Amino acid sequence: MKTTKPHARRKFLLAAGIGSAGAVAAAATKGVAVATHEPPQPKQGDGYRLSEHIQKYYKTTEV
Amino acid sequence: MQAAASTVALERRVPAEESARADFYALLARLFHGAPDARLLASIARAPALDASSPLASAWGGLTAASHAMDADAAREEYDALFAGVGKAEVPIYAGFYLGAPAADHPRVRLRRELAHLGLAPREDNSEPEDHLAGLFDVMRVLVAGGAGRAAASLAEQRRFFETYVAPATQRFHAAINAAPTANYYRKVAGFAAAFVSFESESFQLE
Repeated sequence: MKTTKPHARRKFLLAAGIGSAGAVAAAATKGVAVATHEPPQPKQGDGYRLSEHIQKYYKTTEV
Repeated sequence: MQAAASTVALERRVPAEESARADFYALLARLFHGAPDARLLASIARAPALDASSPLASAWGGLTAASHAMDADAAREEYDALFAGVGKAEVPIYAGFYLGAPAADHPRVRLRRELAHLGLAPREDNSEPEDHLAGLFDVMRVLVAGGAGRAAASLAEQRRFFETYVAPATQRFHAAINAAPTANYYRKVAGFAAAFVSFESESFQLE
């Protein structure tokens, strides 16, 4: 039977036995700030943002 | 009657072996982000050996043994001595230094474009440039397992980022650490990073 490449890759990863040590690595970093990336924030076209404070002000001007 | 439109979120589970890769990237990101504290050292020291007899298993054994012997104060002093201070650090921790950085197309500029393409951006509270090694390993963590608002990347996409930035910078960084007289614990960290990167290179060949 022909061995497909994804299967060969999976076998390679499993043979290295990284699973159990990896789990410890993950546990070791829990609660520690390692994440340095986040989704990009949408750009404000003119740099103007309707803040909660400004929204409250607008409400006071409504008739 | 009009059917109500609804969105169904499909979550694709990451296989255990891929999740383990992401965990190692997370650990490397953490160790290059800053010196390990006592809790982290103890956790690494307690970690089981890798099953196989390989350069990766040997490097992991070296790191766990060093973590057992190291204390947090000494690790912090070593981290500061090796990496602190832009331009005068004993060993630069920025990939741009190792990737040959022409002013017109500095890796940081390319990385900024690359991150946007991947749907990522540096966190607002992260003041380090994009080519900090911790950041590169963190990008790999996200590409392998998903996170930061995006799903896991395809192997082809992971491989492209890895081969363009992570692999060449890590191997040269490892050589620089080996040549640094101050390096002690971080020699083991860089040794494990280099072994893991070689392991990853090999696994990508099987893609």
